[in-house]
Amino acid sequence: MLFSAITEGRILRYEPASGNVTEFRKHTNRTNGLAFAPEGALYGCQESSRRVIHFADDGSSATTAFLLDGRYHNQPNNLAIDLQGRIWFSDPWSELRASGPQIFAALEHASVLRLELDSFRKLWSIRRMTYDTVAPRAVALSPDDSTLYVAETDNSPFGRRELRAYPILPDNTLGPHTVLHTFGRDYRGEHRGIEGMCTDSEGNIVACAGWRKSGPGPLVCVFSPGGAIIESHRVPFDQPVNCAFGDADLGSLYVTTAGGELYRVRNCGRQGRVLPTAKSSRSAQ
Amino acid sequence: MLELDRVTPAFARLVSADAPLDRIYHGLSFGEGPLWNRRDGTFLWVDIVGDTIHRWKPGVGAEVFIRPSNKANGLTFDKEGRLCVAGWASRSVWRVEPDGSVTTLASHYQGKRINSPNDIVVRSDGSIYFTDSPGALYNVGMAAEDLQQYLDFQGVFRISPDGARLDAVIADTVYPNGLAFTPDESVLYVNDTRLGEIRAYDMRPDGSCGPKRLFHKLAGSEPGIADGMKVDREGNVYCTGPGGIHVIGSDGELLGRIRIPDHCTNMAWGDPDWRSLYITTYSSVFRTRVNVPGVPVW
Repeated sequence: MLFSAITEGRILRYEPASGNVTEFRKHTNRTNGLAFAPEGALYGCQESSRRVIHFADDGSSATTAFLLDGRYHNQPNNLAIDLQGRIWFSDPWSELRASGPQIFAALEHASVLRLELDSFRKLWSIRRMTYDTVAPRAVALSPDDSTLYVAETDNSPFGRRELRAYPILPDNTLGPHTVLHTFGRDYRGEHRGIEGMCTDSEGNIVACAGWRKSGPGPLVCVFSPGGAIIESHRVPFDQPVNCAFGDADLGSLYVTTAGGELYRVRNCGRQGRVLPTAKSSRSAQ
Repeated sequence: MLELDRVTPAFARLVSADAPLDRIYHGLSFGEGPLWNRRDGTFLWVDIVGDTIHRWKPGVGAEVFIRPSNKANGLTFDKEGRLCVAGWASRSVWRVEPDGSVTTLASHYQGKRINSPNDIVVRSDGSIYFTDSPGALYNVGMAAEDLQQYLDFQGVFRISPDGARLDAVIADTVYPNGLAFTPDESVLYVNDTRLGEIRAYDMRPDGSCGPKRLFHKLAGSEPGIADGMKVDREGNVYCTGPGGIHVIGSDGELLGRIRIPDHCTNMAWGDPDWRSLYITTYSSVFRTRVNVPGVPVW
């Protein structure tokens, strides 16, 4: 199980058999969300460098496309890769300064973008997918790639925090979204919205949300594809950040926290999605 | 006319307010690497983001010299007059031979790829010193092909005169950037962008560097950072910083500032008397005149 220690600029690797945690990558410049493509290539959202990068097996790393219609996009936060290998990523604004001279302004929108590889020319390009988001954060895909789930998460006072489902249309655009869930507020403040999520083998959405300072507290919730809350668990740590299924049977749920911890729920009753092909002998120069 | 901030009376002897500030080029994405060529009377500089080395001849004009440049950054000449390049995105130091071919002088240290060479200077014994900040691995718009940082330090390297050895002479900087020797080459100044300071390192006979001394801490609230740095023949240090170019005496005290109307990235001495200061900014190249000539480039 790989997970990001974002502010430390590292990706760590937990090995279930031994329980050991080792350093998988260092100098990652605030890489946040990680995902494997169907053929096994690892990609990450390098927030401080405003790009999605590929971590090759030989230890090198290379950028994908970073321009949307000629402009540098914002700071990618989280990603999901579909069966065709297209990378859907959230591109919110960030209060944190990106690396280097501040000569490239942020986009005037914060959207979900999609990276597509022209495999013949070996060139990535970026397409804008959402036109109605202001704080996209977590992204996930239904197992059949027919629905994109987006968490709009602005935890500032009266910010919008909701889980949305966008139908992916045959013409490669998104249809109007359905709001599956909205997060409230009480006298202690906003209920923290979804920071990270994934889908299980049945297409349910497993989401990390909440915090101790308001509402029902830190939660891991399971939503049906239609938005019904079918499970909700208060977790014994503050601010769960992201989650993924793991272990040999994909029957354990791993959860990262804002405090830098990695938790595991064994035999959680759900199962992760199996990548369509095993990790291939992808060559890297 | 120059806009000056005088901090001490000594500043007036170095820089005059009635000196011109001529903009000789504009339209760059990120100007850097200024270098005067005493052999043919031309001035070179780079546009890192624009991936070009430009050349300009007084009275004639500008042309593209090398493009693409693999995002070249700092430039200098060796003692034979060959152009030596701090190869930012190539992650190497490379040299242009008389026949136009390119030779790589440094790319790996102890088997690991170096970060991204930033600025470069040649000492009188022919050794080459360069700063190895990691900007091309992280900075937006300046990406190298391989973005992985392999070294666990960001330091200063020395290439031996025969080119056979690459030594890390400084390893305690965070983001080393500009570097320059005192006129007698007994001290190497290195600035650190992240720390906003200039350090002095005493040179040892074997070309290695002694322990760091804090030479000067940059101050000011205006935009601008420690980036390019050069030394004049009296040992005064010219360093980019908030508001423009900070002129610092050899004792480490700020003498004054030359205000530059754009974000200043580097400067170079030039013209036959070495009394012109060519200044690169994000978008432009400026030229002004000073009263004390600079340390010449080979």
